[in-house]
Amino acid sequence: MAINPISLNVGAVSEANQSAVTPYKAQKTFSSFLKDAINQVNDAQIQSDNLTKKMALGENVELHDVMIASQKASITLQATMEVRNKVVEAYQEIMRMQV
Amino acid sequence: MFSGLNITSSALTAQRLRMDVISSNVANIDSTRAEYVNGNWVPYRRKMVVLEPKGEQFSTLLNKAMNKDTVTSGVKVSRIVEDETPYKLVFNPEHPDANENGYVQMPNVDPLKEMVDLISATRSYEANVTVFNASKSMLVKALDIGK
Repeated sequence: MAINPISLNVGAVSEANQSAVTPYKAQKTFSSFLKDAINQVNDAQIQSDNLTKKMALGENVELHDVMIASQKASITLQATMEVRNKVVEAYQEIMRMQV
Repeated sequence: MFSGLNITSSALTAQRLRMDVISSNVANIDSTRAEYVNGNWVPYRRKMVVLEPKGEQFSTLLNKAMNKDTVTSGVKVSRIVEDETPYKLVFNPEHPDANENGYVQMPNVDPLKEMVDLISATRSYEANVTVFNASKSMLVKALDIGK
């Protein structure tokens, strides 16, 4: 019975390292993604704010448009809070890990 | 994410405009001097809205070209047209716009018709608000997933 020698394929490993996403890159894409998402939520808030202001100033704005913008802002904010809660939960779970 | 809400929003805007047109009709029910044509005053004509689906938007056409499933995106008021039925002739010789026989041309607005349109517009608006609330509670319910 022949025992195959263990051969460490150095070339393959280094190649895999090159093609794979580095932790730095992954973190960067995640942070930019998060930033974009939060900016979208902020935009919804700003739009709602602008419409409310316009209505208060007596400009020609439809009341239902104001209400709909505020509801959209509210839902996006709730979704953001939900994501934040999950992130904090995951962080706390990892911090509770026994080392 | 908000396409349903945007569609409802367009419907609410359209119904509001319809309501405005009805208000104009009811307000001008006795207006005998809407336009001055060839030295004569012409009474107000009843106005109506023409609604059509908002289909020619870029995103809809692009999706159609790419053979993707699309939903028509809301409704819009394409035109406001005038009712061409003849004016009502009322005998009222004291009226400043009476002709030599004592008859006055009054606007072709029928209060009963306007009331029916008013109820229809109000109910449509309510129905769209109900759709909006259902859509919204669906989104809020989706946020409860995984709690």
